[in-house]
Amino acid sequence: MKARNNLGRMLLALTITAVFLAGGAGLVSAADKDKIVIGQAISLSGPLAGGVAISGGKIYELWVEEVNKEGGIYVKEYGKKLPVELKRYDDKSDIGTMCNLLEKLIVEDKVDFIFPPWGTAWLFAAAPIANKYKYILIGGPGGALKLKDLSLPYFFQVLNFSETQAPALAKIFKEVGVKSAAVIYRADLHGIEYGNSMVPHLEKEGIKVKLNKSYPPGIKDLSPLLKEAKSLGVDAFVAACYPDGGMLMTSQSIELGINFNAFFMTVLPFSPPLFLGTFGQAAEGVMGGGAWNAKSGPGAKDLVDKFVAKFGEEPDYWGGLYYWASLQHFKQAIEKAGTLDQKKIRDIMATEKFDTALGPYWYDKDRYFVNHPGEIGQWQKRVFEVIDPGEKRTAPPEYPKPEWPKKQ
Amino acid sequence: MFVTILDIIISGLLLGGIYALIAVGLSLQYGVARVLNIAHGEFIMLGAFLTYTLFTGFKINPLISLVITGPAIFVVGFFLYRTLFARLRAVAPTVDAFEGNSMLACFGLLFIIQNVAILIWGAGIKGYSFWAEPVSLAGAKFAANRLITLFVALGICVAFYFFLSHTRLGKAIRASAQDPSTAGLMGVNINHVLALCFGLGSLMAGLGGTLISISYQIQPTMGLEYTVIALIVIVLGGLGSIPGSFIGGLVLGLVGSIVTYIDPGLSLVAYYVIFMLLLLAKPTGILGKS
Repeated sequence: MKARNNLGRMLLALTITAVFLAGGAGLVSAADKDKIVIGQAISLSGPLAGGVAISGGKIYELWVEEVNKEGGIYVKEYGKKLPVELKRYDDKSDIGTMCNLLEKLIVEDKVDFIFPPWGTAWLFAAAPIANKYKYILIGGPGGALKLKDLSLPYFFQVLNFSETQAPALAKIFKEVGVKSAAVIYRADLHGIEYGNSMVPHLEKEGIKVKLNKSYPPGIKDLSPLLKEAKSLGVDAFVAACYPDGGMLMTSQSIELGINFNAFFMTVLPFSPPLFLGTFGQAAEGVMGGGAWNAKSGPGAKDLVDKFVAKFGEEPDYWGGLYYWASLQHFKQAIEKAGTLDQKKIRDIMATEKFDTALGPYWYDKDRYFVNHPGEIGQWQKRVFEVIDPGEKRTAPPEYPKPEWPKKQ
Repeated sequence: MFVTILDIIISGLLLGGIYALIAVGLSLQYGVARVLNIAHGEFIMLGAFLTYTLFTGFKINPLISLVITGPAIFVVGFFLYRTLFARLRAVAPTVDAFEGNSMLACFGLLFIIQNVAILIWGAGIKGYSFWAEPVSLAGAKFAANRLITLFVALGICVAFYFFLSHTRLGKAIRASAQDPSTAGLMGVNINHVLALCFGLGSLMAGLGGTLISISYQIQPTMGLEYTVIALIVIVLGGLGSIPGSFIGGLVLGLVGSIVTYIDPGLSLVAYYVIFMLLLLAKPTGILGKS
């Protein structure tokens, strides 16, 4: 009797296990997949949150919304369109936290794809992790030559950076007649890469670099550097900065009435709400890293319209169009692959050219996006004009830049 | 040469004035109310954002905002002490236990205030322009708004010092700082005075925030860097010494300015180097008693 009972229990347990196993298998079977989850560890608080809010962050949200409006991404393997869900964690502007969260997204949450964090140094840390798990990482805000050296097969560089911007800036300076420049840079991967690459390019074009100094993130007073640059009588002031430092040096040079014939900053001028919104008329003639605008093409105009309709402000005129187009390329690669398999999609992304908002979009042999809509922008009558030499120029450079307005 | 030296000294005082103001506030909270307020910077941030909203939304002059933000944040601080910290103090077996518990509570406050601010104002950087024009002093150029900031900060510190040394309430505060139990026996309403101290500390933070927003950009997560500076300053000046915090703030500003002139890359390093040197040479701080 007792033995039979035991046998009965065992059978029951087996049945239950079998049912669960079948159910579990059902959960992961093709028919039941009902959405694509994309994970992103990004700075929603901390010093970088301001940067995320003005560049990058919102483009991903807009893209997810746009894709879902059409019912999602068609994946042949499942025979239907799958809507996209963006799962975000806050890295609190800390690289270590970002790395942990990214691994958690991949290993624990088992998201289908990942989106990049914000900032050059953050991207540099995230790329090897993505590569380790063979997850595609399409770069967002950030870019560094050092990443190229690593040559990671699953990493795709989207944004342009010092490699193409430094020569463009030097050529523009030469064209307008800049004779000397002061270069200051933030003491981190972004600043150091730009600082190191801009000086030789400027010198190659015969422009004398009279000042070349770094400043620490979090500095509260940049007036000594501005005053020193002014006392050296340089034509151009060039800064490789993040928004916090950029805001400080702009407001301090306005307050102190320190004018240069050219005023260039890498990360800040591209933001209409932050830069134009804060400095208004004083933005006229300021140059910045970028660049594109609504005149860059019909797809660009469409992005501006959609962005303004959703967020009530203009998009960032450096990376906005780049990220947008990279995601359109990504979507088409998934559809062509007909599966969510990272390897298959990666191979298509690395070789295929797709049409996007900025025109044809493809990656070169290092998986770097090269068909940039522009390198250097300048605020002219509230438009961030592309002033690169060549056909991408939307307006000639304004030089010398008008003096800061006397009273705001 | 003269202009350069003047330039360095005044730039240093411009920063130092703000540091002094926020450190005096923290010193009051820690020295008297025994709350090591890690969320001090969040009160500064609140003051800054209130001023920003008043200026951009209602066109209210930031100097007039001082009389709005200060009292508003005072009320917040006062009630926080009466509710949260008074309770923690009542249940803590020793002063040390209270210090530990209240510091943990402050960590919680930090996250709550910061995230509420992110919900209200967003995580982005904000700024506005007020008296952004150059003023010449003996050949050296300074921004008008930073000079105003310095004078107002110094004015508030001096006024507060007189309040402490020349009024009955000030005397009660000083007595409570020295020995809360005896002060209580002598008829000081200790809970009320401690709450007042915490409130006044918040008030200083709020005023500091208003002044900071005049010359710097602000964002909801800016608080911690000011808390860290205020902590360095109160240790530099001597724990619990109000004049010490005042002098400490100015010293830190000056050192920062001198180092920035030599090499901007080292300015933040200099703060910590001074801090370490002082802890080695005179652990009680500039005006601290052993």
